[in-house]
Amino acid sequence: MAADPQLKEKVEQLIGEHPVLLFMKGTPDAPRCGFSMRVVGVLDALGVEYGAIDVLPALQPLREVTTEISDWPTFPQLYVNGELVGGCDIVEEMLDSGELADLLGVEQPEAPPEAPDSRLVEGGPQQSPPMSLG
Amino acid sequence: MADLDEIRRMIEVALPGAEVEVLDEGGGDHLRAVVAAPQFEGLSRIDQHRLVRAAVKERFDDGSIHALSVKSSVPD
Repeated sequence: MAADPQLKEKVEQLIGEHPVLLFMKGTPDAPRCGFSMRVVGVLDALGVEYGAIDVLPALQPLREVTTEISDWPTFPQLYVNGELVGGCDIVEEMLDSGELADLLGVEQPEAPPEAPDSRLVEGGPQQSPPMSLG
Repeated sequence: MADLDEIRRMIEVALPGAEVEVLDEGGGDHLRAVVAAPQFEGLSRIDQHRLVRAAVKERFDDGSIHALSVKSSVPD
């Protein structure tokens, strides 16, 4: 089950061209998967520019390609400077620890976007963060 | 449907000395593994996660696991 060489070449080219590149299900404006939506949320919170590729139109072929390139079969996948950083859980952990801001060369946001506990203790009903589901 | 105990043992065998907890996050095939392993020292998170995934690859391949989220750390 070797990956399609043409697709692989194209993917490698895209990873090389974009300092920050997200492979996701859906688009940043209309994510089609909760994990992809969370990574978009992290990147938006950090205010970085990034390229996004919707994997859904070619899910299985792209899975084969990223397995060969990065030994990683699931999406979302965030690449920074040509290297796979991780999927949703790694990206969120690295946001919380400040490592992601360092890696991207941006300021750590004041408050992490996902802080359900602090919303609870601050009291009073609050509007949920805006969600872009198309 | 994955056997959580088996998954835990597979990770323990691949990473001797690791402390491993495997939880069902839904449906029996979306799992979460909390792994503290000395082997993680000096590795990037993605490489730490790769080690955990590699340990249970067979169960991905046969479809018992659909998704695995990993929380990795180096023990104190």
